[in-house]
Amino acid sequence: MTWRIILQLALSGLSIGSIYALVGLALVLPFKASGIVNFAQGEIVTFGAYLALILSGLGLPYLAVVPLVLIGAAALGMVIERLLIRPIVHQPEFTLVIVTFAIGFIIKAAIRLHWQDNTFSVDAPFVGPPLALGALRLNPAYLVFILSTVAVVAALFVFFGYSKFGKAMRATALDPTAAKLMGIRIGSVFSAAWVLSTMLGAFVGLLLGPVIGINPEIGHLILKGLIAAVIGGFSSLGGAVAGGLLLGLLETYAGAFFGATFKNLVPFGVLILLLLLRPQGLAGVSSARRV
Amino acid sequence: MALLEIDALSVRFGGVAAVTDVSLAVAAGEIHGIIGPNGAGKTSLINAATGMVVPQSGSIRFADREIAGVAPHLISSFGLGRTFQHVELFGDRSVFDNVLTGFYRHQSYGLLAAALRFGNAARSERRTREQVRLLLDAFDLAAFAGTRAGLLPFGIQKRVDIARALAAEPLLLFLDEPVSGMSEAEAEAAVATMRKLAREHGITLVVVEHNMRVLMNLAERVTVLNQGRLLATGTPAEMQADASVVDAYLGGDA
Amino acid sequence: MHARVFLILLGLALLAALPLVATSYYLYLAELAMINVIVAVGLNLLSGNCGQISLCNASFMGIGAYCTALCTTRLGLPTLLSLPASVILAALLGAALGYPARRLSGLYLALITLGFLELVGFVLEEFPDYTGGIRGLKVPRPEIFGFSLQSNVSLYLFVLVLTVGTVAVGYNIQRSRYGRAFDAVRQSPFAAQALGIPVARVKMIAFSLNAAFAGFAGGLLAGVVGFIDPPEFGILASIQHITFIVVGGLGSIAGSIAGAVLLTALPEALRGVQEFGELVYGFILLGTLLFLPRGLVGLAAKLEALRVPKPPAKESAYGAP
Repeated sequence: MTWRIILQLALSGLSIGSIYALVGLALVLPFKASGIVNFAQGEIVTFGAYLALILSGLGLPYLAVVPLVLIGAAALGMVIERLLIRPIVHQPEFTLVIVTFAIGFIIKAAIRLHWQDNTFSVDAPFVGPPLALGALRLNPAYLVFILSTVAVVAALFVFFGYSKFGKAMRATALDPTAAKLMGIRIGSVFSAAWVLSTMLGAFVGLLLGPVIGINPEIGHLILKGLIAAVIGGFSSLGGAVAGGLLLGLLETYAGAFFGATFKNLVPFGVLILLLLLRPQGLAGVSSARRV
Repeated sequence: MALLEIDALSVRFGGVAAVTDVSLAVAAGEIHGIIGPNGAGKTSLINAATGMVVPQSGSIRFADREIAGVAPHLISSFGLGRTFQHVELFGDRSVFDNVLTGFYRHQSYGLLAAALRFGNAARSERRTREQVRLLLDAFDLAAFAGTRAGLLPFGIQKRVDIARALAAEPLLLFLDEPVSGMSEAEAEAAVATMRKLAREHGITLVVVEHNMRVLMNLAERVTVLNQGRLLATGTPAEMQADASVVDAYLGGDA
Repeated sequence: MHARVFLILLGLALLAALPLVATSYYLYLAELAMINVIVAVGLNLLSGNCGQISLCNASFMGIGAYCTALCTTRLGLPTLLSLPASVILAALLGAALGYPARRLSGLYLALITLGFLELVGFVLEEFPDYTGGIRGLKVPRPEIFGFSLQSNVSLYLFVLVLTVGTVAVGYNIQRSRYGRAFDAVRQSPFAAQALGIPVARVKMIAFSLNAAFAGFAGGLLAGVVGFIDPPEFGILASIQHITFIVVGGLGSIAGSIAGAVLLTALPEALRGVQEFGELVYGFILLGTLLFLPRGLVGLAAKLEALRVPKPPAKESAYGAP
């Protein structure tokens, strides 16, 4: 067990963890804004990948595909929030969970209708032979994962910390009534949260698609994103990022030391342990109320 | 020995001190009032006494048994019941079913008996349903028996809440603002019923109200809370004469 | 009241007489529908009455299916022992899930059930020596006292009798103090506690019961279909089960039956357009949640109300049973 291997694994873990972090972020955003977990998020990722497939198929270079997919995802997010989520916001949680599941179901079914279960490939500039980084070998895609996540997190940090709308969103998350009273249009905030979230999801699809192949099962990733979000207590964006990275590292090291079977157990082992012992996550606050 | 003894009770929520160092005693068979302006900590007191909330410190003794921090359903089984300020009825079910659920504590047949509708289960159901009918009659709710509880006017819902709480046959009943939302006539009737409950069935009542008039008429002893602290305890007459109480409550009529 | 009893008896008589007119294909379809009815009735107790969301219902069905399959093929046990064993195993595992789940609600409950779903799927796939893995398991027909139910009619009647019995059990439970406790926990845990209802324990019981029903259905499914494999018991199936009770009407047994029967028949009706099947399913689920929150039962009630004008009621997803 050399330092080189440990570092190599760390890079690997951080890069896949970055993906989990992005999905986790995409899940926590609408939850903080409107209290809803979008269980269709996995399919949003899939949607992003397939949209990239379509646009690439039209001959567009990947760098041109990226903004178009993000716009498409934004539109999807807007449609979902306005038409499907807004009307049912006051229904019991049961309904909200199932509705988002249904949306995901429909997206996946529509995709399978056209493309069946085949795996497609698409070319992207960041897919290529491993780069040398000192004594380490790094898959350039992994580097892109990590750097993209850093960029996204930095952008969100600036947005929420310094922009007017970002601050409005934070205010709404803390206390919607007060925000409303202060003239913040919380309808726009909800839409914005969903749009950001679907854009993030589609972005993950853009990153993953070229690397792992485009097929309808990509959406299964949502479980990892959920765990990342739970680690962060579902209330903290930073927590979701940290959670995703942590999960990626845990998985990678577990796989390396104990084999593939154990590696697959790590995610739900972590989930079940967290939900049993600290449902509020590593960052959240527990309440005094019982029942 | 008092039926309910609260000693130096403190309840906090995060940074908010809802109740601070409150002590009071309720004798068996008494009608005890708890009064105070909004935010005085009255409901938090009830929540602590019924186990919904774990107090920070202090003791709550019921029938000589320490109940602070004990699980709510256990406290209920000791004989403590309550109604709710905002009613908390089972809105989708009929009034009959609501009150029927109140008898849960007194039915004991098991799951298998329920699943296969054994004799004891069927008998228990028949008997209990009869008791529900009697209770509904006593509260003048028979006409609403089949109505969905969520559709009823607030005042009638409050009556259902009380009937349901009584179904559990408590020794001591906390009534949280029982007449809010009621018309004059309804309130009078409710007060009369409450007095009857205390006299005829020997149920100890602890009534939380911020309607001074109602409480002063009904209660034998009154505890006044203000901002989570005990202000004074005594008979209604003593309270009305107490300067600090009058101050806190300046003309306070609901 | 008597009219209702008469109708039910008539319906049962017709169902019993079905083999006289139906082909083996339709008998098979009816068996699948009845198995789904059992699933729906059980899930309705947990989610419709007790309001607990469960994304792992299919897992308990799988546990029951595999338990029956292994008991009959590996241990050589007769069906009349395998099925009860499956129910008991599923119930125990349901309680095992219900115990940690008792303090969770909404999102976190959904997540832990999702975790359980994944865990069960993992176990079913990664231990092929025991479970046959992704290649699945073949299961013989059920047999009673040594007589294998090879004839389609006998199998159909077997499933029919068990389904009717299960529905009756579900109905009894719903009408009992347990059903009321479930409902109370859903609508107001505070009031329930104040009335002496042990909320956490009640949730556990609901989970265990639901698992028992699902496990029983799974055991029957194994025998009826003759083959089981892990993908059958994944998230897709769980969502389908939820669709049964949502479309039928949350909280209502009649609704669960209607939803299960309709949605079992639907994929068959859409045979011609097989690929659209899933899409249609998704839209039905979504559409029902958005426009018909009280499901078919709610629709029936609305139509009833058109005949007899009443004051407008507040809309919620749950209807009175």
